[in-house]
Amino acid sequence: MPNIIGASKKSFVTGNETAAWACLVAGADMMFGYPITPQNEIMHYWTRLAPKYGRGFLQTEDELSAGFTVCGSVQSGKKAFTATAGPGNVLMQEPFGMAEAMRLPLLAIIQQRGGPSSGTVVYSQQEVTLTTFGGNGEGMRIVYSTASHQDIYDYIIKGFNMAWKHRFPVFILGDGYQAKMREPLEMYNPEDRGIEMVKPYPLIGVEGKISAGREPQHLNNIYSLEEELYEVVMKVAAEYEALEDSIVEYDEKNCDDADIIILSHGVVSRAADDAVKILRAQGIKAGYFRPITLRPYPHKQLRNAIAKSGAKKLLIAESAYGQLERLTKQEIFGETIKIESLFRPGVGIIDYDIINKVKSVL
Amino acid sequence: MSLTRIALAGEGGQGVQSIAEILAEAAYNQDQQALYIPNFGLEQRGGVSIAFIQFSDIRIGAPKFHKADVVVALSERAVSRTAIYSGPDTLFVYDNGFHVSEQDLPREAKRIIGIPAIQTANQELHPRVFNIIIMGAVIGLTKVVSFDAAKDALESKLGYKFEKNPELRELNFKALELGKHMAEKALQEGGAENV
Repeated sequence: MPNIIGASKKSFVTGNETAAWACLVAGADMMFGYPITPQNEIMHYWTRLAPKYGRGFLQTEDELSAGFTVCGSVQSGKKAFTATAGPGNVLMQEPFGMAEAMRLPLLAIIQQRGGPSSGTVVYSQQEVTLTTFGGNGEGMRIVYSTASHQDIYDYIIKGFNMAWKHRFPVFILGDGYQAKMREPLEMYNPEDRGIEMVKPYPLIGVEGKISAGREPQHLNNIYSLEEELYEVVMKVAAEYEALEDSIVEYDEKNCDDADIIILSHGVVSRAADDAVKILRAQGIKAGYFRPITLRPYPHKQLRNAIAKSGAKKLLIAESAYGQLERLTKQEIFGETIKIESLFRPGVGIIDYDIINKVKSVL
Repeated sequence: MSLTRIALAGEGGQGVQSIAEILAEAAYNQDQQALYIPNFGLEQRGGVSIAFIQFSDIRIGAPKFHKADVVVALSERAVSRTAIYSGPDTLFVYDNGFHVSEQDLPREAKRIIGIPAIQTANQELHPRVFNIIIMGAVIGLTKVVSFDAAKDALESKLGYKFEKNPELRELNFKALELGKHMAEKALQEGGAENV
Protein backbone atom coordinates (compact mmCIF):
# COMPACT_ATOMS: atom_id res chain seq x y z
CA MET A 1 0.00 0.00 0.00
CA PRO A 2 1.25 3.51 -0.76
CA ASN A 3 1.96 5.80 2.16
CA ILE A 4 -1.06 8.09 1.76
CA ILE A 5 -1.34 9.85 5.09
CA GLY A 6 2.31 9.87 6.14
CA ALA A 7 2.69 10.13 9.90
CA SER A 8 -0.69 9.98 11.61
CA LYS A 9 -2.23 13.45 11.44
CA LYS A 10 -5.05 15.42 12.98
CA SER A 11 -7.51 17.21 10.78
CA PHE A 12 -10.78 19.12 11.06
CA VAL A 13 -13.12 17.72 8.44
CA THR A 14 -16.68 16.71 7.61
CA GLY A 15 -17.88 13.12 8.00
CA ASN A 16 -18.22 12.75 4.25
CA GLU A 17 -14.61 13.82 3.72
CA THR A 18 -13.64 11.38 6.48
CA ALA A 19 -15.39 8.56 4.62
CA ALA A 20 -13.61 9.28 1.33
CA TRP A 21 -10.19 9.34 3.00
CA ALA A 22 -10.94 6.14 4.91
CA CYS A 23 -11.90 4.30 1.71
CA LEU A 24 -8.69 5.54 0.12
CA VAL A 25 -6.38 4.34 2.91
CA ALA A 26 -8.32 1.06 3.15
CA GLY A 27 -7.25 0.39 -0.43
CA ALA A 28 -10.63 0.72 -2.14
CA ASP A 29 -10.20 0.42 -5.92
CA MET A 30 -13.51 1.72 -7.11
CA MET A 31 -16.62 3.65 -6.12
CA PHE A 32 -19.93 3.40 -7.92
CA GLY A 33 -22.54 5.93 -6.89
CA TYR A 34 -25.47 8.11 -7.63
CA PRO A 35 -25.88 11.51 -5.98
CA ILE A 36 -28.20 11.98 -3.03
CA THR A 37 -27.99 14.34 -0.07
CA PRO A 38 -26.52 14.09 2.53
CA GLN A 39 -23.81 11.73 1.19
CA ASN A 40 -22.89 13.67 -1.98
CA GLU A 41 -19.54 14.90 -0.71
CA ILE A 42 -18.29 11.32 -0.31
CA MET A 43 -18.48 11.15 -4.11
CA HIS A 44 -17.09 14.64 -4.51
CA TYR A 45 -14.04 13.98 -2.35
CA TRP A 46 -13.54 10.53 -3.82
CA THR A 47 -13.55 11.88 -7.38
CA ARG A 48 -10.86 14.39 -6.37
CA LEU A 49 -8.72 11.82 -4.57
CA ALA A 50 -9.20 8.76 -6.76
CA PRO A 51 -7.31 9.87 -9.91
CA LYS A 52 -4.24 10.82 -7.85
CA TYR A 53 -3.98 7.28 -6.51
CA GLY A 54 -5.07 5.30 -9.56
CA ARG A 55 -8.52 4.50 -8.18
CA GLY A 56 -11.75 4.54 -10.15
CA PHE A 57 -15.18 6.10 -10.05
CA LEU A 58 -18.35 5.64 -12.05
CA GLN A 59 -21.56 7.60 -11.65
CA THR A 60 -24.29 5.23 -12.71
CA GLU A 61 -27.81 6.08 -13.91
CA ASP A 62 -29.43 5.33 -10.57
CA GLU A 63 -28.91 3.55 -7.23
CA LEU A 64 -30.05 0.15 -8.50
CA SER A 65 -27.29 0.31 -11.03
CA ALA A 66 -24.73 1.61 -8.53
CA GLY A 67 -25.48 -1.32 -6.21
CA PHE A 68 -25.29 -3.92 -8.97
CA THR A 69 -22.08 -2.53 -10.42
CA VAL A 70 -20.51 -2.87 -6.98
CA CYS A 71 -21.76 -6.49 -6.95
CA GLY A 72 -20.06 -7.07 -10.30
CA SER A 73 -16.89 -5.24 -9.45
CA VAL A 74 -16.20 -7.19 -6.25
CA GLN A 75 -16.67 -10.46 -8.14
CA SER A 76 -13.85 -9.45 -10.45
CA GLY A 77 -11.63 -8.94 -7.38
CA LYS A 78 -11.89 -5.16 -6.99
CA LYS A 79 -12.38 -3.62 -3.59
CA ALA A 80 -15.48 -1.61 -4.50
CA PHE A 81 -17.95 0.42 -2.47
CA THR A 82 -20.92 2.73 -2.73
CA ALA A 83 -22.61 5.36 -0.60
CA THR A 84 -26.23 6.41 -0.43
CA ALA A 85 -29.12 7.58 1.75
CA GLY A 86 -32.90 7.51 2.12
CA PRO A 87 -34.72 6.58 -1.10
CA GLY A 88 -31.34 5.58 -2.56
CA ASN A 89 -30.95 3.07 0.25
CA VAL A 90 -34.42 1.71 -0.59
CA LEU A 91 -33.43 1.17 -4.24
CA MET A 92 -30.14 -0.44 -3.29
CA GLN A 93 -31.83 -3.14 -1.23
CA GLU A 94 -32.18 -5.30 -4.33
CA PRO A 95 -28.43 -5.37 -5.07
CA PHE A 96 -27.72 -5.64 -1.33
CA GLY A 97 -29.93 -8.74 -1.33
CA MET A 98 -27.85 -10.13 -4.19
CA ALA A 99 -24.74 -9.48 -2.11
CA GLU A 100 -26.30 -11.50 0.72
CA ALA A 101 -27.31 -14.29 -1.64
CA MET A 102 -23.92 -14.56 -3.33
CA ARG A 103 -21.85 -13.69 -0.24
CA LEU A 104 -20.30 -10.65 -1.94
CA PRO A 105 -17.77 -8.51 -0.03
CA LEU A 106 -19.59 -5.25 -0.64
CA LEU A 107 -19.24 -2.13 1.50
CA ALA A 108 -21.90 0.59 1.57
CA ILE A 109 -21.86 3.83 3.50
CA ILE A 110 -25.34 5.00 4.48
CA GLN A 111 -25.84 8.59 5.66
CA GLN A 112 -29.40 8.49 6.99
CA ARG A 113 -31.80 11.28 6.06
CA GLY A 114 -35.39 11.90 7.16
CA GLY A 115 -38.16 9.64 5.93
CA PRO A 116 -40.47 8.17 4.78
CA SER A 117 -39.96 8.83 1.07
CA SER A 118 -37.85 11.90 0.26
CA GLY A 119 -38.51 13.11 3.83
CA THR A 120 -35.77 15.60 4.60
CA VAL A 121 -32.24 15.91 3.30
CA VAL A 122 -30.98 16.50 6.82
CA TYR A 123 -30.87 13.75 9.43
CA SER A 124 -32.59 10.79 11.06
CA GLN A 125 -32.04 7.30 12.39
CA GLN A 126 -34.91 5.99 10.30
CA GLU A 127 -32.88 3.66 8.09
CA VAL A 128 -32.12 1.17 10.85
CA THR A 129 -34.77 -1.39 9.85
CA LEU A 130 -33.89 -0.99 6.17
CA THR A 131 -30.15 -1.30 6.65
CA THR A 132 -30.28 -4.24 9.09
CA PHE A 133 -33.10 -6.30 7.57
CA GLY A 134 -33.91 -4.70 4.21
CA GLY A 135 -34.40 -6.79 1.10
CA ASN A 136 -36.13 -10.14 0.71
CA GLY A 137 -33.57 -12.01 2.76
CA GLU A 138 -32.67 -12.77 6.37
CA GLY A 139 -30.47 -9.81 7.29
CA MET A 140 -27.15 -11.62 6.81
CA ARG A 141 -25.19 -8.40 6.97
CA ILE A 142 -22.77 -6.59 9.23
CA VAL A 143 -23.95 -3.11 10.23
CA TYR A 144 -21.73 -0.68 12.15
CA SER A 145 -23.51 2.36 13.58
CA THR A 146 -20.96 5.17 13.89
CA ALA A 147 -21.07 8.04 16.39
CA SER A 148 -18.10 10.20 15.40
CA HIS A 149 -15.74 10.93 12.56
CA GLN A 150 -13.16 8.70 14.21
CA ASP A 151 -15.73 5.87 14.15
CA ILE A 152 -16.45 6.48 10.46
CA TYR A 153 -12.73 6.30 9.67
CA ASP A 154 -11.96 3.31 11.88
CA TYR A 155 -15.02 1.24 10.92
CA ILE A 156 -14.63 1.81 7.19
CA ILE A 157 -11.12 0.36 7.44
CA LYS A 158 -12.39 -2.49 9.59
CA GLY A 159 -15.50 -2.91 7.43
CA PHE A 160 -13.55 -3.61 4.26
CA ASN A 161 -11.58 -6.24 6.12
CA MET A 162 -14.69 -7.88 7.57
CA ALA A 163 -16.33 -7.91 4.13
CA TRP A 164 -13.34 -9.55 2.41
CA LYS A 165 -12.62 -11.90 5.28
CA HIS A 166 -16.14 -13.21 5.87
CA ARG A 167 -17.88 -12.35 2.59
CA PHE A 168 -20.92 -10.72 4.14
CA PRO A 169 -22.00 -7.25 2.94
CA VAL A 170 -20.91 -4.54 5.37
CA PHE A 171 -22.73 -1.29 6.10
CA ILE A 172 -21.37 1.84 7.71
CA LEU A 173 -24.49 3.48 9.10
CA GLY A 174 -23.98 7.19 9.65
CA ASP A 175 -26.42 10.07 9.34
CA GLY A 176 -26.77 13.57 7.92
CA TYR A 177 -25.37 15.22 11.04
CA GLN A 178 -22.23 13.11 10.95
CA ALA A 179 -22.00 13.65 7.19
CA LYS A 180 -22.11 17.42 7.36
CA MET A 181 -20.54 18.40 10.68
CA ARG A 182 -16.88 19.22 11.17
CA GLU A 183 -14.96 17.84 14.10
CA PRO A 184 -11.42 16.65 14.78
CA LEU A 185 -10.27 13.37 13.24
CA GLU A 186 -7.02 11.48 13.45
CA MET A 187 -6.12 9.99 10.08
CA TYR A 188 -3.57 7.21 9.75
CA ASN A 189 -2.39 4.50 7.41
CA PRO A 190 -3.87 1.21 8.65
CA GLU A 191 -0.49 -0.50 8.24
CA ASP A 192 1.08 1.96 10.71
CA ARG A 193 -1.39 0.77 13.35
CA GLY A 194 -0.59 -2.87 12.69
CA ILE A 195 -3.81 -3.36 10.71
CA GLU A 196 -3.23 -5.69 7.83
CA MET A 197 -5.64 -4.98 4.98
CA VAL A 198 -7.18 -8.14 3.53
CA LYS A 199 -6.25 -8.29 -0.15
CA PRO A 200 -9.20 -8.46 -2.53
CA TYR A 201 -9.44 -11.59 -4.66
CA PRO A 202 -11.50 -12.53 -7.72
CA LEU A 203 -14.56 -14.72 -7.21
CA ILE A 204 -14.89 -15.50 -10.91
CA GLY A 205 -12.33 -16.64 -13.45
CA VAL A 206 -10.27 -18.17 -10.66
CA GLU A 207 -7.38 -20.47 -11.44
CA GLY A 208 -7.68 -24.23 -11.64
CA LYS A 209 -10.39 -26.50 -12.90
CA ILE A 210 -13.50 -27.65 -11.11
CA SER A 211 -13.14 -31.38 -10.38
CA ALA A 212 -9.40 -30.99 -10.85
CA GLY A 213 -8.26 -29.45 -7.63
CA ARG A 214 -10.72 -26.65 -6.99
CA GLU A 215 -14.21 -26.38 -5.59
CA PRO A 216 -16.89 -24.57 -7.60
CA GLN A 217 -17.62 -20.99 -6.48
CA HIS A 218 -21.42 -21.33 -6.46
CA LEU A 219 -22.05 -17.65 -7.14
CA ASN A 220 -25.78 -18.01 -7.42
CA ASN A 221 -28.75 -15.80 -6.69
CA ILE A 222 -31.48 -18.00 -8.16
CA TYR A 223 -32.29 -21.68 -7.67
CA SER A 224 -34.70 -23.94 -9.52
CA LEU A 225 -35.39 -26.16 -6.52
CA GLU A 226 -36.89 -25.01 -3.21
CA GLU A 227 -34.73 -27.50 -1.34
CA GLU A 228 -31.59 -26.11 -2.92
CA LEU A 229 -32.39 -22.58 -1.74
CA TYR A 230 -33.32 -23.91 1.70
CA GLU A 231 -29.98 -25.64 2.03
CA VAL A 232 -28.03 -22.53 1.03
CA VAL A 233 -29.94 -20.16 3.32
CA MET A 234 -29.57 -22.55 6.26
CA LYS A 235 -25.84 -22.91 5.62
CA VAL A 236 -25.34 -19.14 5.36
CA ALA A 237 -27.39 -18.56 8.53
CA ALA A 238 -25.31 -21.10 10.42
CA GLU A 239 -22.08 -19.48 9.25
CA TYR A 240 -23.35 -16.03 10.17
CA GLU A 241 -24.42 -17.14 13.63
CA ALA A 242 -21.11 -18.87 14.23
CA LEU A 243 -19.34 -15.59 13.53
CA GLU A 244 -21.60 -13.39 15.68
CA ASP A 245 -19.45 -13.40 18.80
CA SER A 246 -16.38 -12.35 16.87
CA ILE A 247 -18.17 -9.53 15.05
CA VAL A 248 -20.37 -8.01 17.76
CA GLU A 249 -19.21 -4.67 19.19
CA TYR A 250 -20.73 -2.47 21.87
CA ASP A 251 -19.86 0.20 24.41
CA GLU A 252 -21.05 0.16 28.01
CA LYS A 253 -20.54 2.64 30.86
CA ASN A 254 -21.84 2.85 34.43
CA CYS A 255 -24.11 -0.18 34.11
CA ASP A 256 -22.84 -2.05 37.18
CA ASP A 257 -25.17 -0.30 39.63
CA ALA A 258 -27.56 1.47 37.27
CA ASP A 259 -31.23 1.97 38.14
CA ILE A 260 -31.93 2.95 34.55
CA ILE A 261 -29.95 2.02 31.44
CA ILE A 262 -30.05 4.43 28.51
CA LEU A 263 -29.78 2.57 25.23
CA SER A 264 -28.96 4.49 22.06
CA HIS A 265 -26.88 4.11 18.92
CA GLY A 266 -24.97 6.33 16.52
CA VAL A 267 -24.75 10.06 17.05
CA VAL A 268 -27.48 9.95 19.74
CA SER A 269 -25.14 7.92 21.96
CA ARG A 270 -22.98 11.04 22.34
CA ALA A 271 -25.91 12.83 23.98
CA ALA A 272 -26.62 9.72 26.09
CA ASP A 273 -23.01 9.67 27.27
CA ASP A 274 -23.24 13.32 28.38
CA ALA A 275 -26.67 12.74 29.94
CA VAL A 276 -25.35 9.84 32.06
CA LYS A 277 -22.48 11.99 33.35
CA ILE A 278 -24.83 14.83 34.30
CA LEU A 279 -27.38 12.47 35.89
CA ARG A 280 -24.66 10.71 37.89
CA ALA A 281 -23.42 14.10 39.14
CA GLN A 282 -26.97 14.71 40.36
CA GLY A 283 -27.02 11.38 42.20
CA ILE A 284 -29.17 9.51 39.68
CA LYS A 285 -27.79 6.07 38.89
CA ALA A 286 -27.95 6.02 35.11
CA GLY A 287 -26.04 3.65 32.84
CA TYR A 288 -25.08 3.80 29.18
CA PHE A 289 -25.27 1.05 26.60
CA ARG A 290 -24.52 1.52 22.92
CA PRO A 291 -24.69 -1.27 20.34
CA ILE A 292 -21.98 -0.44 17.80
CA THR A 293 -22.98 -3.36 15.58
CA LEU A 294 -26.74 -3.35 14.96
CA ARG A 295 -26.30 -6.59 12.97
CA PRO A 296 -25.25 -8.79 14.63
CA TYR A 297 -26.74 -7.23 17.75
CA PRO A 298 -24.90 -7.44 21.11
CA HIS A 299 -27.86 -9.14 22.77
CA LYS A 300 -25.83 -11.24 25.20
CA GLN A 301 -23.94 -8.17 26.38
CA LEU A 302 -27.13 -6.15 26.83
CA ARG A 303 -28.81 -8.99 28.74
CA ASN A 304 -25.73 -9.18 30.92
CA ALA A 305 -25.80 -5.40 31.60
CA ILE A 306 -29.45 -5.65 32.61
CA ALA A 307 -28.79 -8.65 34.86
CA LYS A 308 -25.73 -7.32 36.66
CA SER A 309 -27.19 -3.84 37.27
CA GLY A 310 -30.60 -5.02 38.37
CA ALA A 311 -31.89 -1.92 36.56
CA LYS A 312 -35.65 -1.48 36.66
CA LYS A 313 -35.86 0.48 33.44
CA LEU A 314 -34.36 0.59 29.98
CA LEU A 315 -34.77 3.90 28.16
CA ILE A 316 -34.41 3.63 24.39
CA ALA A 317 -33.58 6.99 22.77
CA GLU A 318 -33.56 7.29 18.99
CA SER A 319 -34.24 9.72 16.14
CA ALA A 320 -36.84 7.33 14.75
CA TYR A 321 -40.24 6.06 15.84
CA GLY A 322 -39.15 2.79 17.41
CA GLN A 323 -36.79 1.16 14.90
CA LEU A 324 -34.04 0.56 17.47
CA GLU A 325 -36.71 -0.39 20.00
CA ARG A 326 -38.18 -3.12 17.78
CA LEU A 327 -34.72 -4.44 16.99
CA THR A 328 -33.80 -4.48 20.68
CA LYS A 329 -37.05 -6.10 21.83
CA GLN A 330 -36.65 -9.04 19.47
CA GLU A 331 -33.02 -9.45 20.52
CA ILE A 332 -33.70 -9.49 24.27
CA PHE A 333 -37.04 -11.28 24.15
CA GLY A 334 -38.03 -12.58 27.57
CA GLU A 335 -36.37 -9.87 29.64
CA THR A 336 -38.81 -8.31 32.08
CA ILE A 337 -37.13 -4.91 32.43
CA LYS A 338 -39.60 -2.10 31.75
CA ILE A 339 -38.87 -0.38 28.47
CA GLU A 340 -39.39 3.38 28.17
CA SER A 341 -38.88 5.28 24.95
CA LEU A 342 -37.76 8.66 23.68
CA PHE A 343 -38.65 8.74 19.99
CA ARG A 344 -37.81 11.87 18.02
CA PRO A 345 -38.11 10.76 14.38
CA GLY A 346 -36.05 12.89 12.00
CA VAL A 347 -34.71 15.35 14.59
CA GLY A 348 -31.70 15.36 16.86
CA ILE A 349 -31.62 14.27 20.50
CA ILE A 350 -29.51 16.17 23.01
CA ASP A 351 -28.53 15.44 26.61
CA TYR A 352 -31.24 17.84 27.80
CA ASP A 353 -33.98 15.70 26.17
CA ILE A 354 -32.64 12.49 27.70
CA ILE A 355 -32.19 13.97 31.19
CA ASN A 356 -35.78 15.28 31.17
CA LYS A 357 -37.09 11.92 30.01
CA VAL A 358 -35.13 10.00 32.65
CA LYS A 359 -36.45 12.27 35.40
CA SER A 360 -40.01 11.86 34.15
CA VAL A 361 -39.91 8.06 34.27
CA LEU A 362 -37.86 7.40 37.42
CA MET B 1 -12.24 26.71 28.87
CA SER B 2 -15.54 25.00 29.50
CA LEU B 3 -18.15 24.39 26.83
CA THR B 4 -19.23 27.41 24.79
CA ARG B 5 -22.18 27.12 22.43
CA ILE B 6 -22.85 29.62 19.67
CA ALA B 7 -25.68 29.91 17.15
CA LEU B 8 -25.17 32.22 14.17
CA ALA B 9 -28.12 32.88 11.89
CA GLY B 10 -28.75 34.94 8.81
CA GLU B 11 -29.90 34.89 5.22
CA GLY B 12 -28.30 32.68 2.60
CA GLY B 13 -25.34 34.52 1.08
CA GLN B 14 -24.54 36.58 4.18
CA GLY B 15 -21.60 34.36 4.93
CA VAL B 16 -22.90 32.88 8.17
CA GLN B 17 -21.61 29.39 7.43
CA SER B 18 -18.23 30.71 6.25
CA ILE B 19 -17.47 32.53 9.49
CA ALA B 20 -18.72 29.59 11.56
CA GLU B 21 -16.31 27.32 9.73
CA ILE B 22 -13.43 29.77 10.12
CA LEU B 23 -14.10 30.20 13.86
CA ALA B 24 -14.32 26.44 14.43
CA GLU B 25 -11.15 25.87 12.47
CA ALA B 26 -9.34 28.62 14.40
CA ALA B 27 -10.30 26.95 17.69
CA TYR B 28 -9.24 23.55 16.40
CA ASN B 29 -5.87 25.02 15.40
CA GLN B 30 -5.47 26.22 18.98
CA ASP B 31 -5.79 22.59 20.13
CA GLN B 32 -9.31 22.97 21.36
CA GLN B 33 -12.17 20.64 20.67
CA ALA B 34 -14.58 22.20 18.21
CA LEU B 35 -17.70 21.04 16.43
CA TYR B 36 -19.51 22.93 13.71
CA ILE B 37 -22.67 21.90 11.92
CA PRO B 38 -24.73 23.91 9.45
CA ASN B 39 -28.44 23.45 9.13
CA PHE B 40 -28.78 22.63 5.49
CA GLY B 41 -31.44 21.96 2.97
CA LEU B 42 -33.66 24.92 3.67
CA GLU B 43 -31.40 27.91 3.20
CA GLN B 44 -31.18 27.38 -0.56
CA ARG B 45 -34.95 27.45 -0.62
CA GLY B 46 -35.23 30.82 1.07
CA GLY B 47 -35.03 29.86 4.72
CA VAL B 48 -32.86 31.26 7.49
CA SER B 49 -29.39 29.72 7.56
CA ILE B 50 -28.15 28.72 11.01
CA ALA B 51 -24.70 27.56 12.07
CA PHE B 52 -24.24 25.69 15.35
CA ILE B 53 -20.73 25.85 16.79
CA GLN B 54 -19.39 24.42 20.03
CA PHE B 55 -15.99 24.93 21.65
CA SER B 56 -14.63 22.93 24.56
CA ASP B 57 -11.50 21.46 26.07
CA ILE B 58 -13.11 18.03 26.23
CA ARG B 59 -14.91 15.87 23.67
CA ILE B 60 -18.15 17.48 22.50
CA GLY B 61 -21.37 15.45 22.66
CA ALA B 62 -24.44 16.06 20.51
CA PRO B 63 -23.86 18.26 17.44
CA LYS B 64 -26.77 20.56 18.23
CA PHE B 65 -27.90 22.07 21.53
CA HIS B 66 -30.86 23.39 23.48
CA LYS B 67 -29.71 26.88 24.53
CA ALA B 68 -26.70 28.83 23.28
CA ASP B 69 -24.27 30.96 25.25
CA VAL B 70 -24.26 33.42 22.38
CA VAL B 71 -26.82 33.87 19.62
CA VAL B 72 -26.06 36.25 16.76
CA ALA B 73 -28.94 37.11 14.43
CA LEU B 74 -27.80 38.68 11.19
CA SER B 75 -31.17 39.48 9.67
CA GLU B 76 -34.58 40.58 10.87
CA ARG B 77 -36.09 37.16 10.17
CA ALA B 78 -33.20 35.49 11.95
CA VAL B 79 -34.08 37.33 15.19
CA SER B 80 -37.41 35.57 15.65
CA ARG B 81 -36.09 32.31 14.17
CA THR B 82 -33.29 32.04 16.75
CA ALA B 83 -35.17 33.28 19.81
CA ILE B 84 -35.72 29.63 20.84
CA TYR B 85 -31.97 29.16 21.36
CA SER B 86 -31.86 32.01 23.89
CA GLY B 87 -32.08 31.09 27.58
CA PRO B 88 -31.44 32.87 30.88
CA ASP B 89 -27.65 32.72 30.35
CA THR B 90 -27.59 33.70 26.67
CA LEU B 91 -26.08 36.83 25.16
CA PHE B 92 -28.43 37.62 22.30
CA VAL B 93 -26.86 39.85 19.67
CA TYR B 94 -28.55 41.52 16.73
CA ASP B 95 -28.00 44.55 14.54
CA ASN B 96 -29.55 47.64 16.07
CA GLY B 97 -30.50 48.84 12.61
CA PHE B 98 -33.13 46.06 12.35
CA HIS B 99 -36.79 46.88 12.66
CA VAL B 100 -37.86 44.18 15.08
CA SER B 101 -40.81 44.30 17.39
CA GLU B 102 -40.55 43.56 21.08
CA GLN B 103 -42.30 40.20 20.65
CA ASP B 104 -39.74 39.00 18.09
CA LEU B 105 -36.94 39.38 20.63
CA PRO B 106 -36.29 36.40 22.88
CA ARG B 107 -38.27 36.23 26.08
CA GLU B 108 -35.27 34.93 27.95
CA ALA B 109 -31.73 36.27 27.68
CA LYS B 110 -28.93 37.30 29.99
CA ARG B 111 -28.49 40.38 27.83
CA ILE B 112 -29.86 41.55 24.52
CA ILE B 113 -27.23 43.52 22.69
CA GLY B 114 -27.69 45.64 19.59
CA ILE B 115 -24.58 46.48 17.59
CA PRO B 116 -24.24 48.75 14.53
CA ALA B 117 -22.60 46.12 12.32
CA ILE B 118 -24.44 46.77 9.06
CA GLN B 119 -24.01 50.54 9.33
CA THR B 120 -20.31 50.18 10.10
CA ALA B 121 -19.80 47.78 7.21
CA ASN B 122 -21.63 50.00 4.74
CA GLN B 123 -20.20 53.33 5.85
CA GLU B 124 -16.72 52.62 7.15
CA LEU B 125 -15.65 49.47 5.30
CA HIS B 126 -17.49 47.51 2.64
CA PRO B 127 -20.79 45.58 2.76
CA ARG B 128 -18.94 42.37 1.84
CA VAL B 129 -17.08 42.27 5.17
CA PHE B 130 -20.25 42.47 7.27
CA ASN B 131 -19.84 38.83 8.24
CA ILE B 132 -16.22 39.40 9.30
CA ILE B 133 -17.38 42.20 11.62
CA ILE B 134 -19.75 39.65 13.16
CA MET B 135 -16.93 37.15 13.46
CA GLY B 136 -14.92 39.82 15.33
CA ALA B 137 -17.93 40.47 17.55
CA VAL B 138 -18.16 36.78 18.47
CA ILE B 139 -14.50 36.86 19.51
CA GLY B 140 -15.08 40.04 21.52
CA LEU B 141 -18.02 38.44 23.31
CA THR B 142 -16.68 34.98 24.01
CA LYS B 143 -12.90 34.80 23.67
CA VAL B 144 -13.41 31.35 22.10
CA VAL B 145 -10.38 32.02 19.96
CA SER B 146 -7.62 34.61 20.21
CA PHE B 147 -7.56 37.53 17.81
CA ASP B 148 -4.34 36.24 16.27
CA ALA B 149 -5.73 32.75 15.76
CA ALA B 150 -8.75 34.28 14.03
CA LYS B 151 -6.47 36.27 11.74
CA ASP B 152 -4.47 33.13 10.93
CA ALA B 153 -7.65 31.24 10.13
CA LEU B 154 -8.84 34.06 7.87
CA GLU B 155 -5.48 34.02 6.15
CA SER B 156 -5.61 30.28 5.54
CA LYS B 157 -9.22 30.46 4.27
CA LEU B 158 -8.93 33.59 2.13
CA GLY B 159 -5.19 33.77 1.54
CA TYR B 160 -5.55 33.00 -2.15
CA LYS B 161 -7.85 36.04 -2.54
CA PHE B 162 -5.56 38.21 -0.44
CA GLU B 163 -2.66 37.33 -2.73
CA LYS B 164 -4.51 38.73 -5.71
CA ASN B 165 -5.71 41.78 -3.85
CA PRO B 166 -3.73 42.70 -0.71
CA GLU B 167 -6.23 45.46 0.13
CA LEU B 168 -8.74 42.72 0.88
CA ARG B 169 -6.51 41.42 3.66
CA GLU B 170 -6.40 44.82 5.29
CA LEU B 171 -10.15 45.24 4.87
CA ASN B 172 -10.89 41.87 6.49
CA PHE B 173 -8.51 42.38 9.40
CA LYS B 174 -9.90 45.86 9.96
CA ALA B 175 -13.45 44.43 9.98
CA LEU B 176 -12.42 41.75 12.47
CA GLU B 177 -10.95 44.38 14.78
CA LEU B 178 -13.91 46.73 14.50
CA GLY B 179 -16.29 43.88 15.28
CA LYS B 180 -14.28 42.86 18.33
CA HIS B 181 -14.23 46.43 19.67
CA MET B 182 -17.90 46.88 18.95
CA ALA B 183 -18.77 43.82 21.03
CA GLU B 184 -16.44 44.70 23.87
CA LYS B 185 -17.89 48.20 24.01
CA ALA B 186 -21.44 46.86 24.00
CA LEU B 187 -20.56 44.49 26.85
CA GLN B 188 -19.13 47.33 28.92
CA GLU B 189 -22.09 49.60 28.32
CA GLY B 190 -24.48 46.90 29.22
CA GLY B 191 -27.64 46.41 27.27
CA ALA B 192 -31.07 45.33 28.19
CA GLU B 193 -30.37 43.01 31.12
CA ASN B 194 -32.55 40.07 32.07
CA VAL B 195 -35.54 41.05 30.07
